[in-house]
Amino acid sequence: MNHSRRRLLAALAGSGAVGAAGCLDRFGGSGGSAEPAGSVQADLGVACADTDGTVELSGGRRPAEIETAQGTPSTSYDDGEIPLRDETLHLGHERTAFVDGDQSGGVGHDGIPSVDEPRFAPAAAVSMPACERVFGVSIDGDVRAYPQRILVSHEIANDVVGGEPVAVTYCPLTGTAQGFYRGGTGFGVSGRLVNSNLIMWDRTFDVRWPQVAATATEARNRGDRGGGEELVGRSLREFRLVWTTWERWSDRHPDTLVMTEKTGSARDYNRDPYGSYTPVSGHYAVGEPRSPSFPLLADPELDGKRVVIGARTSEGAIAFDKRTLLEESVLTGSVGSQSVVAVADEGLATGYVYADPGGVDVTPTAEGYSVDGDIAAAGELPLERIVAFDAMWFAWNGFYPDSERVGL
Amino acid sequence: MSPGDGEESPAGPDREPTKGGIRGEAGRAVGATERRSRWRRWIGRFGGVVSRTGIAVRGALGRRDGKGVFVLVTAAYLLTYLWAIRHLALSGTGGVEVFVVDDPLGTALEQRSAFAYETVAVIEAGPVVYLFGPVNLLLGVGLAALVGVTLAVSVVSWRGPAACRLGAGAGASAGLPGLVSGFACCGPQLLVVIGVQASAGVIAAMQWMVPLAVVSLLGTLLWVGSRVDPTAM
Repeated sequence: MNHSRRRLLAALAGSGAVGAAGCLDRFGGSGGSAEPAGSVQADLGVACADTDGTVELSGGRRPAEIETAQGTPSTSYDDGEIPLRDETLHLGHERTAFVDGDQSGGVGHDGIPSVDEPRFAPAAAVSMPACERVFGVSIDGDVRAYPQRILVSHEIANDVVGGEPVAVTYCPLTGTAQGFYRGGTGFGVSGRLVNSNLIMWDRTFDVRWPQVAATATEARNRGDRGGGEELVGRSLREFRLVWTTWERWSDRHPDTLVMTEKTGSARDYNRDPYGSYTPVSGHYAVGEPRSPSFPLLADPELDGKRVVIGARTSEGAIAFDKRTLLEESVLTGSVGSQSVVAVADEGLATGYVYADPGGVDVTPTAEGYSVDGDIAAAGELPLERIVAFDAMWFAWNGFYPDSERVGL
Repeated sequence: MSPGDGEESPAGPDREPTKGGIRGEAGRAVGATERRSRWRRWIGRFGGVVSRTGIAVRGALGRRDGKGVFVLVTAAYLLTYLWAIRHLALSGTGGVEVFVVDDPLGTALEQRSAFAYETVAVIEAGPVVYLFGPVNLLLGVGLAALVGVTLAVSVVSWRGPAACRLGAGAGASAGLPGLVSGFACCGPQLLVVIGVQASAGVIAAMQWMVPLAVVSLLGTLLWVGSRVDPTAM
């Protein structure tokens, strides 16, 4: 369908979004839009001012039918096999707290239908305003973008990227976009929430996987074959999804594919039931006095809607204030006994978190980051990268009240 | 009080039972007969109310003002219901487009939440976008017709000189729960947008809004019908 989105720039100044011209001027470089001071909005740390334009996301083909995509699985998995981490990710609570805190989100099992046969079009064949939020992924050179405006109605897209079966997931309530390897199964929306966050179910065992925790909390035995108890307490393997804008992503990856509105479902992709990111309003607005609408596992204390870039390992969790990271470029902290360093990616207005073996000097330069004298891009430092993702603070704190805080 | 008018039978449960024998069995038989008789009276009364309501409805819809109220209210309610469940919006951008899912019949019966079923088509015409969900359209038409007919009867009876024991507000109050029920499917989203805490109790209560609306609308219609003098319509 052809949808237009026309908004006056002048409306942005009065949108209630937090102005951050000071820090965001730094990110007008590669991938950044021209953002005049005073009219910049920074909803979730992603600077964007140009919401004008047309949305044309019709048609598209399956990834397997596109030459530039690796849409056919190159890794074989047994039916129902789920790739798992060797070590369980840290949980900020006893596992039973997630079971006790599980509550209905008001829809049934698969009440929000996942996209199981996504279709894509090349960037050159689609049209979107610069500020449209997309979740970008790059696996083995296969680059895709999933528009937030589509995924908000589905929350999960079961796809094959870079020859790997994956689930691209998005919870609008907690502002979290995360990627999981799904192996020989698919994921769906259970209709349940914990800490206001999407609880996924796998279609083989009906094991419940809260998105942020990425760890199985219980087996419901409603899947294709029952069982799955052995998965409880295990964590999914993840990959990085980048929360950014269409202009930033397509500038960085001109050859990206974009998921189209041909999802197989009859939906009005012009309307986001929770608010808007262009300009920011409703549930998404930073600084909104409205509290999160579902019970939380911990009191956020701070502004619950501010955005952090969170990372967790088997040892612990850490949250970097996204705006502070974008301002400072480099922040450090620790997860358990592990030192970590976070760096900002100016072009994509995001950040990456790396394990720091200790004593590594990471400094920003005009070309990227200097790591002990070697220059590398923000996403490619010669260090072990830890999967990190954007989250509204209330959600991160609810899952990980013991998280280290940096810039908060 | 006349016998049987709510009075317990001598063989009712309050009387000390005799020790077996003919008298005990006879007492139970009398009690059962009395209960059947009471049920028959209730059914008769209910049938009378239904019959009276039917006459009132036919009478109201036979009049020009009643018919007008019915059509207007039903249409307005249906549009509001479809808007509330997010099947109707002014989010189109011009032009006419229609998209139909691959298996409309099978898809139409897929339940998404309490009284919310899958949509099978997107119809975009100018600024209007309509998501066609057959089951919810039928549900909306049913609720809208109930609200419309209740208001039509109450308005006609309010305007009629010999049947003014009733105010039009009765019909209006009947419409409220029905209207609220329209938010049942999307209630949690609504709560998120307005920032109200959605406890498990609130979510559970929302799932009962549609049946509660139907019961309250039917109850109000029967109440309205029972209060109207059919001869005055």
